[in-house]
Order: sequence, then structure tokens, then C-alpha cells
Amino acid sequence: MDRDEAETMENVEFDASEIEYVSYGGEHHLPLVMNLVDQELSEPYSIFTYRYFVYLWPQLSFLAFHKGKCVGTVVCKMGEHRNTFRGYIAMLVVIKPYRGRGIATELVTRSIKVMMESGCEEVTLEAEVTNKGALALYGRLGFIRAKRLFHYYLNGVDAFRLKLLFPRSELHPSLPMMADKYESHMQSDHGDAPFKE
Amino acid sequence: MAEDRSLPPRASIPSADNSVWADVSPLLQAACQDLQEGELIHGDNFNLFAAMSALEIMDPKMDSGIACTYYSLDEAIENGVAPVPISADKTTDVRCMIDIMDHLLACEATWHKGHSLAQTVYSCLYLLRPERTSSHALLHSYCKVIRATCKAILSVVSEARTHEEEDLFTMAYGLPLSGNGDEKCLSMLNAVEETISRQLRACKASSSKRRVSEDVEPLQNNPDLEEGYCKALLCRLRFRKHFYHLLMSMKRPQGRGLELARKHIASCISEIDYIRKSSEFLRANAHGMSEQNIDNTTASGCQPIGFDASLNCRLSAPTPPRSIKILSLEKALEYFMKLLQDLDVICSYSLDPSLEAALLFVIKFQKSQPDLVARAHLQLLLVQDGKLYGRDPMFSMITRAAGLPEVTENHDIQKNEFMVQLGQLVINLLKILCTNAAWQRRKLGKMLQDWRVTYVQLEMAFKGEFAEASKTSNNKKICFKIYQHILAWVEEQTYWIAFRFLNLGFELELYSVHDYCMVYWYIYVVLIKLAEKKHLRMAMSSDSAKKKTKKKRDSFKDGEMDYQIPAAVLFLQSQIYLAEGLSMMFAALRNERRIVPLQSPFNTEHEIFIQQFELLQKACVPDHISYVTFKESTMHANFSTLAICDHFKEAQKIAKEVKSSFANDPDTMAELRRVEQVAERNSIALNVCRAGALDPKLKTFFTFCHHPFYATAIVKRS
Repeated sequence: MDRDEAETMENVEFDASEIEYVSYGGEHHLPLVMNLVDQELSEPYSIFTYRYFVYLWPQLSFLAFHKGKCVGTVVCKMGEHRNTFRGYIAMLVVIKPYRGRGIATELVTRSIKVMMESGCEEVTLEAEVTNKGALALYGRLGFIRAKRLFHYYLNGVDAFRLKLLFPRSELHPSLPMMADKYESHMQSDHGDAPFKE
Repeated sequence: MAEDRSLPPRASIPSADNSVWADVSPLLQAACQDLQEGELIHGDNFNLFAAMSALEIMDPKMDSGIACTYYSLDEAIENGVAPVPISADKTTDVRCMIDIMDHLLACEATWHKGHSLAQTVYSCLYLLRPERTSSHALLHSYCKVIRATCKAILSVVSEARTHEEEDLFTMAYGLPLSGNGDEKCLSMLNAVEETISRQLRACKASSSKRRVSEDVEPLQNNPDLEEGYCKALLCRLRFRKHFYHLLMSMKRPQGRGLELARKHIASCISEIDYIRKSSEFLRANAHGMSEQNIDNTTASGCQPIGFDASLNCRLSAPTPPRSIKILSLEKALEYFMKLLQDLDVICSYSLDPSLEAALLFVIKFQKSQPDLVARAHLQLLLVQDGKLYGRDPMFSMITRAAGLPEVTENHDIQKNEFMVQLGQLVINLLKILCTNAAWQRRKLGKMLQDWRVTYVQLEMAFKGEFAEASKTSNNKKICFKIYQHILAWVEEQTYWIAFRFLNLGFELELYSVHDYCMVYWYIYVVLIKLAEKKHLRMAMSSDSAKKKTKKKRDSFKDGEMDYQIPAAVLFLQSQIYLAEGLSMMFAALRNERRIVPLQSPFNTEHEIFIQQFELLQKACVPDHISYVTFKESTMHANFSTLAICDHFKEAQKIAKEVKSSFANDPDTMAELRRVEQVAERNSIALNVCRAGALDPKLKTFFTFCHHPFYATAIVKRS
């Protein structure tokens, strides 16, 4: 499934500080998320799919705005999965003119922090094996490729199941410093992560 | 029908005696306005998770009712979508028939590649009402053999039950897989083939101006095209015939039909060649409707008559419509060539009654990346009725693999529940190795714990049975030996599985460069155990053999044999050095900061180690190995010390020395050559790294151009 080339605009110029990151705040954000995801991802999702995620875990979804325009979103959930409290990244979209500027990394980092603080032991998602941007983004955040899923997508493409395991008991003492250091050296990223249950 | 359409929809459902239909749209609208933002009204049992599978009307990605052609098969047929005959004009009828044949072949290949039968082969409306085509002998016989072929392949894939990808493949949604009399499809096909053969001979006789002694009605009305059309039809019919025969031959138990199957494979390949050759003729006579397009599903380039992929899609939809791209005819022919070649490899296998040989054959076969249909056939050949090839009991295969003499094959010990369990594990292993690499790796990882548990249970049974050392009897001694040998073999096999599990990670691209150090280190520790267990098992087999022949040997030869390490163990030794060398090289690169280490804000190398080797650690494969062990082994690695004890040189030396022992084994010879090449190049790279320690422009890259999972290091100035 080739994505639409509806966006012919060149990359937009902006300062990183001009991007506003907002936690999902209610029904007025739902159409924004739906439009972004539907536009960029080939999988069809009914409105109940979106409601499932944002009604049950609104604190795990974030939107990125530039001058009032919604340019990116991440949608997640968490719950018990075979004796593990697991976070799941269901959808991640940044529209093409805003890619490569760290927006997706920031969106995902925020949701992962909330999942970690909520007691998740690990975070998972699936991504197409051909999606180099997504694989690089999640790789930098510490995800490993735990499994390869044969013909996961109906277009015949395989998927990797990516996994991030949090340190057990409490955080390593050095981690907060690493996190601070990391944020000041953010690198380019972009990508999207369709999901399947 | 037109009259019905004009009636208002509400009138189609009559009011009951005590009720009247009423429009509640305004009421619903008013009620919705009273809802709070984000509020849902639903039943007590409603949950959003289940609702995620809902379809959404009017969404083009989900609603299969949108913008489609017909709403039922009957409607499509009435509107002439699939006419019988295809055309009143015989020439057109033949041309369209060939297009249908080609498109069906393309659909079949697309189905084999993982799409649904309903939206590929059975998008052909002629298949859906078997009796409809009975007046058209050619079309009818072809539809029969297509249905029979689909049924046969479905049967193989369902029976193999590889649980990987066949759910969509084997979904038949009530499609008519058997028309009445389809089991006699070959006799009808033969009759049609014979008719066309006679027509071909007649037109050739005609063209040479000899008198036609036979009274043969021509295939179609244009004498100039008769030969071309006859040939184009014959090669397609013959391909069908031989392909079906091939499937039936391979179906025979215990591999009895393999030789005949090979003949049919050769015939199929020959007919595919003729199909390709017919393209030029068909394109030339396509009446201008043809397009020169690489995506054409027909040789003529014309759109085939009688297909509608959306019909079945709608009839069977609890799922969203998927647009499926049918493979081009050329791609379909390539697919079938690959399938035939893979099946030929299977049919060429010697059915060696050796578990080790069977395992090696499967591993080698998988390297050519066969598709589902071929893999399913291999699995059914290997395991039938719980026996190897349907004829060799698994216990006797295990005793042989464990180096036990043949007399132990029928020993009562095989009724022991843990021996039975072990036999089942071996069956599962063979089946898993026949699956696609992704599924295979997951299953191998999980079965390690089963192998470990079975080993522990056998060991406890062994100790329990021989606790009373005072009692001795002949049967006791035999039991003792059987347990000893099998326990050693089980451990060896466990580490073999672990080794394959780790290697598959490279094939599947599961490791990033930052993981290589720990992965090669883990391969190194697993290989040490594998070599150790193999050596133990081979030594025990050697002892058994030696006792039998001790009277024929003098003491000098006995002594000599004791000191020889088997070639198979030395082969593993060379890989141990290679894996250790790679692990230490990556460690040195990290320790001397020539590779930028991964720094995640959320976790550390420890968590990555835990995740990568979780299944092996749970199975204690090996025991007492942990992240701490890994850190202790690698934290002091540097290029100065590595160059002094060069593991790559050791690997290269052993690989060179051991080659003569494998002169009759081309596969192992090729593998040794690859190991030798990687070791040689890495040794050079190691020395360059040491010499260039102070040169910041030197960069080290890793490639897999010499070996699928041992990396070759390349040092370059950037």
C-alpha cells in the first residue's frame, strides 16, 4: 500500500520551540488524530478503534501542533499481557512536511515516559521491516527487534515486533542523567507505526 | 426486478399486526444533542476492544459494498459477466478461453503467495457454479482440474498445519471446491486434449496440402490461426494435467511416488516453456485491445472475461476489503518454476534413514527460501504417522543418532513416558524446521525449555532406575547404556537447536550492530557446549564400536584412536574461535571507543541482553551464563592483547587442517571455506586496527558477504 503523495509541500521551516506538544485532551482532539492516521496509514480503522485507545488511556496519546495546526500524533495503550504489564504504541504519525525534525521522537518519548511512570515493565509495537525511519527511531530509544512476523501485513510485508524492556525494580541511578544528556542531543527521526492486535 | 427497485425501501418489511414502522431520525438527533462530549450509550456487555473489529459504512477502506459491480453471483451472471460460450464466434471464444487460463494461473500463484482463495482463483465466476459450464467441454474440463488442484493443495497445506500463515490460505468460505465429478477431471481433460491434438495434426496436414483422411472439425474458423491456437491451448492443458499428476504422486505415502513426480515436474517445466513461447502469437492476434504492460496477467495482454474479485469479497466479508494485486503472468510463471524446482529437490532426496541426515537436508533446503506449498510437501514427506518418512519409528531414529547399536531399536525402554515424549519432541523439531524462518525461530526458542525439561526427566528416571548398584543383569546393562547415550544426544541436540536459534537472528535481521558483541559471545558459549556434547557422544559411540572389534586391533591402534579428536568436533572448534574472535573484536572496538555505543534514555545494555537471550536463559542453555559473565569476559578486551592471541588465526588454521576429513562432503567443505575466508580477512583487519590505534580516520565496517552469519570486518580510512 503506497501512501498518498497528497502532500507536495516541501519541508516546513521552523524552530523546535515552535512545536507544541499536548496530551490528548478530549473529543475535540479526536478528529485531528483520526484525520492524521487515516491520511498516512494504509490500514483501515473504524472510529471505535480510536475510541478504544483514547477513552481508556487518554494520558498515553499526544499531539504535536505547529501554529495551531496538528502535524503529528502518537496513540498508545497499556495493560496486563501474560504476566507482564506492557505498554503498546499503536499509531505514530507525523505529516511529511514536518518529518526529520525530531517530532516523532519527542511524541514517542513523552508517551514512553508516562508508561514507565505508570509501572509498565516493557513497551512493544510492530513496524514494517522496510520502514527504516521507524526502525532507526525506536532503535535509538533502546528497542530491540524481538521477533520477525512473516507476512504480517496483508500486502505481504513482514513486520518486526520491537520491544523496550525497562530496568527492573527501580531506575538505574545513571539513567536520569542519560535522559537529560540525550534530550540535548536529539537527532533526526521520522516514522510511523501501524499496529495489529 | 425493475418494479421492485422503484418501491420505497421501508415497504419491503411489512408492519406486524401490533406494530407500525415509524421514522425516529428526529428523536435520535435530539437525544444525541443531549449527550456529553465523548459520551457513549451502549449495552452493559459492550466493550470498545471488541468494537475495534467493526466495519464502518461508507469508508472506502472498510465498506465492501461501496462502488462495486454486482451484489450477487446471480446478478453478475444475468448481466453477462461470465457467458457460456464465452463468445458465439469460435475464434474469439478460443482467444478468451486462453486469457481465462492465463489469469487463473496468475491468480493461483497469487493465492500461493499468501492471499485468499476467494479473492484470487475463485474470483473466476466460472468456478462458482460448476454445472454452468457443462456445455463448453474445454472450459468445463479446465474448471474441473482447477478446482481439483486447489483442493489438493489446500489438503496438503491444511494437513501440514504449520500454523504460520495458512489461516488465510486455507480459508475457503464455502467455495465449491468439488464440483460433481471433479475427481474424474483428468479423464475429461485427456479427452479435450486428444481432440485438440487431432485438430492440430489436421491443420498441419492441411497446410502441407496432403489430403485430410480424418474428418476433424477445426478448433476455430480461421485456418491461418489454427496451429497457433491449438499449440497455445495444448501447453496450458498439459501443464494442468502434469501439475495435478505431480500433486497426486507426491501424495503417495512413504515417498513411493517421488520418482514419478520428478517426471511430471520435468513435463511441467517443458510446458511452461511452451506457454512462454505462445505469447508472441497471442499478442499478435489480440485485436488491438492488447496493452504492452509488465503487469499483464494474460499472454495476449487483454483483460480476461469472467472475473470479479469484489463478489466473493462481499459475500464473505466480516473483514475489510483488501485490494489484492494479482501477479503478472510472467511473475506467476516464475513462481511456478521456483515451486517445481523446490519440489524436485524434495523428490530427489534419498530418504536416508538417519535423523541427522534429515535435519541437514531440511536446513539446506530452507536456504533456497521455498514458499509455503513446497515446505508443506516436505513436512508431510518427513513425518507421517509419527514416523520418519512414514516408515522409520522415531525411537529407532533416536537410538541410531545417539550411536547405539541396532539391537536396541526394539527395546522396551521406548515405552517409557519420557522416551515417548522425546520422540514427540523430535517430530515437532522436524515440523518446525519446515516452517518459514520467522516462525521457526520463535518456535525453536520456545522448545528449548521442553528439551531441557525432558532431559532432566530422563536423567531422573535414569538415576532412579540404577540407584541399586548392587543388582546387575544383561538387560540392566543394556538399559544403562541406552540411557547414557540418549542423555548425551539430547544435550547435544539442545545446543544444536540453540545454535540454530541464534543464527536465524542474523537471517531475519533481528540484531543491530550494537548487539553483535553479545550475540557472538553467546554463540561462542553455546558452541563450546555443543562441541563438548558432540565429542562426548562420539567418544561413547567409538567406545561401543571399539569393544566389538577389540580382537581385531592391536594396542597401538587403540591408543592412537583415543587421541584423535573427531573432525566434526574440530569443525565446531574453528567456529568457536571465530565467534570468540568476533565477540572480542567488537568488545575492543567499544572499549577503545571506535564504535559509538548505543545510549538509550530508557534502558541499558543489560536489558538488551536479557531480551535477546531470554528464551535460552529460561532453558538454562547454558547453565550459569548471565550478563555479568558476558561483561567480565569482554570488559578488558583491547587490540593489543587480541593481536597476541589471535583467535581468527586459530580458526583459520583448524579449518584448513580439517578439510581433508570432509573430502566427500561438499556442503561441509563449502562451509569450511567460508569460515576460513572470514577468519583470514578478520585476522588482517585485527592487525590493521592494532597498528592504526592512533589514527582517528580508520573506520571498521562489517559485512556478511562471505558468510551468512559470521561477519567480515573491513577497515577503511574515511
